[in-house]
Amino acid sequence: MSAPTLKIENLKLGFKLWSGMVEVLHGISLHIGKGERVALVGESGSGKSVTARIVLGMLQEISTARISGSLNFEGIDLDKLKPRDRHHLRGTRMSMIFQDPTSSLNPVYPIFTQFREVLARANPAIGEAEARMKAIAALADVSINEPERVLDSYAFQLSGGMNQRVMIAMALANNPSLLLADEPGTALDVTVQAQTLKLMSDLVEQHGTSVLFISHNLGVVREFADRVYVIYKGRIVEQATTKQLFSDPQHPYTRALLSAVPRITGGGIPDIAEDTAGFLDPLIAHPGASEKERLA
Amino acid sequence: MKKTLLILTRNPLSLLGLILVTIIVLAAVFADFITPFPEHVGAVVDFTNFNQPPHWPNIFGTDLVGRDLFTRVVYAYRVSLILAAVVLIIAVPIGVAIGLAAGYLGGWTEYVLMRITDIFLSIPPLVLAMSIMGLLEPTLTNGMIAVTAMWWPWYTRLVYSITRSEREEGYVLAAEVIGASKLHIMFREILPNCVPSIVTKMTLDFGFVILIASSLSFLGLGVQPPTPDLGSMVADGAKYLPDSWWLTVFPGLAILIAVFGFNLIGDALREILGGDQ
Amino acid sequence: MSAILELNGVSKEFAVNGRRTKAVDNVSFAVEKGECLAIVGESGSGKSTIANMILGIYGTTAGTIAFAGEPLPERREKRHRRAIQLVQQNPLSSLNPRRTVGASLRLALDVHEIGPKAERAARIGALLQEVGLEPDYARRSPAALSGGQRQRVAIARALACESELVVLDEPTSALDVLVQARVLRLLAELKAKRGLTYVFITHDLSVVRNIADRVAVFERGRLIEIGTTEALFSSPTQDYTRRLISAVPVVSDEEAAMRQHIMGDQA
Repeated sequence: MSAPTLKIENLKLGFKLWSGMVEVLHGISLHIGKGERVALVGESGSGKSVTARIVLGMLQEISTARISGSLNFEGIDLDKLKPRDRHHLRGTRMSMIFQDPTSSLNPVYPIFTQFREVLARANPAIGEAEARMKAIAALADVSINEPERVLDSYAFQLSGGMNQRVMIAMALANNPSLLLADEPGTALDVTVQAQTLKLMSDLVEQHGTSVLFISHNLGVVREFADRVYVIYKGRIVEQATTKQLFSDPQHPYTRALLSAVPRITGGGIPDIAEDTAGFLDPLIAHPGASEKERLA
Repeated sequence: MKKTLLILTRNPLSLLGLILVTIIVLAAVFADFITPFPEHVGAVVDFTNFNQPPHWPNIFGTDLVGRDLFTRVVYAYRVSLILAAVVLIIAVPIGVAIGLAAGYLGGWTEYVLMRITDIFLSIPPLVLAMSIMGLLEPTLTNGMIAVTAMWWPWYTRLVYSITRSEREEGYVLAAEVIGASKLHIMFREILPNCVPSIVTKMTLDFGFVILIASSLSFLGLGVQPPTPDLGSMVADGAKYLPDSWWLTVFPGLAILIAVFGFNLIGDALREILGGDQ
Repeated sequence: MSAILELNGVSKEFAVNGRRTKAVDNVSFAVEKGECLAIVGESGSGKSTIANMILGIYGTTAGTIAFAGEPLPERREKRHRRAIQLVQQNPLSSLNPRRTVGASLRLALDVHEIGPKAERAARIGALLQEVGLEPDYARRSPAALSGGQRQRVAIARALACESELVVLDEPTSALDVLVQARVLRLLAELKAKRGLTYVFITHDLSVVRNIADRVAVFERGRLIEIGTTEALFSSPTQDYTRRLISAVPVVSDEEAAMRQHIMGDQA
């Protein structure tokens, strides 16, 4: 069996502040198999976004951050890589999609310039014509009808949904093995969000890309992910396949979360007890989960 | 306030600024007690001891008519600080009120007020002050008027730009929906959010006003003799460089230390209060 | 039942780059006293523009808005401001960071001279309790409050001047799901207790399903469908409404089946 695309073991994160250490992650473990779509779901402040940033190596640069634990990417220990090599992974072997597509694109350059930069990360010698061809093909893949026009536009001239598609095309342009998606589409209208998620889902399936999908929206997670980790206050509290989790949630926190979602079939506004006593109960792993992570 | 002071003392540079400014202010306030020859502030002449390099008891030396330079520098601080304080006390409220009105009310009010501000800003400050001083008698009061006239537009610009962004905030909308008056929204809702930036700028400006007032007196347009003034002391002494170096070096250093001290605190405040525009 | 708010042929045009665009196009509907009417649509649907016209933040280009049977003037009087209040989406920006919670609440009491001056502090305490916060929150700064607590304060402020109609502009979409459920419950309780009328502006149809009595669907400035929540969700008449419902991400098989059913109707 080949190594998983991403394996995080006992990851801890703290920030050293004037007032002392603030613990953000208390040792989380998770893995993403090849071609697997794994969701990390939690509320704001649970530590889900910082996890993605650590994988990309973006938090390590902050002087107050204290990080421990191991990060393994396709069998390579990321912490043993030279900073240059690690930096090179970003945008080539692993890439990221952010929440707000319009502000993630630079407003002063046309889309093509930014696209070419992305392509040049994997192939610095890429020529103008080749880059253009590849960009057009990538945009066509995300169902953009007039790729030529879009390439010569600026982000602010395009709709949010269009920018999101451009972001997806860019993120997948170098055929990464891991895609980190941080609340993709949250800033978009629901119908557009549904379309882009469908599109992203189809594409990663075609490319065999593994995805770490970070979201607070349980409904979106149910539609997109194969497997789910629920994170609460820097701890993974439950992990299961999507089917298991939604049909048979076990952890008190997961149950509370699920029951708090208003149903489109009606039934009134859920009554959520103020009681959070069981939320810090130990991890519940459903059958089939990896042994190490069950112990973590 | 207390917390801000505490943070100021943690950083070595801002602590240095705090110490410098405290010494200057205390010296200026208690000038009568700490200077050896308080009577040398006026038109005193002592030809037995003129143009002497530093020696006891004249630690900064004496000037061309035999007055103690240390005494005159300390008293000059008093004049400078009063001038800076008065200028800011007048210029800041004017600038702030105009900036708030232009930024919040918009429309014609904004257009007219900001064009007037632009006119003032487009004239080089020293030229503006010099022409006012040229028209009026070169007295301390007129010096203050001149410096005030060139200072308020900077506060208008600062407060205007903050107000423009604050008026889009939800709390302004909430106050409008409740039916609060425009005056309430400007002065009670928006103004408190401008205060950190204003305080930071005022601290920085304390040094700059001292500097510009000194420049004016250096050009002979500021405070008139025999009132001691750092700028005119440097100007008078410059003719006797390098032989009588103490005549320029000590007043010059005094200006430098004051500007430096206020700047250190201002920079630290900008970081602490986040009032950067 | 009597209509507390009535929009009649309301349009709003904005000049964008010298071109006039219609943000709201000839819209008429009524809100009954004591009901919760949801206004649903995506960006560009004109739902925020309608909220702003109801609140008197901008005037109408054409048409009239009447409150309690009386047409609202372009320049609102104090009593209109008192009667129609707002809860905004973002609790981070809707409270002044430099003023205490108490000061933010007191503004409404002072402007509308509600109760004797000496009793206003006590009234602020009572308002905070009504939204589930301790009275001593009055002394705190908004920075010391969580998102949900801030939204409770914003609700208390909207109620402080004894308003009758509250425009809720995406009041829970910036909140976490557990907090959202609690705030929605509070809104429902307050509505029943005080006999309030809500205009609930949102894009979230699963929230609408559980709090609204009636729903108005907007697309590109036009009112395309209006009806009771029950009817609209069981048999939507418009294609756009169906698409909106089917785009809602759901968490159970039962809901997924219902979505399927709605899309199936289309054929």
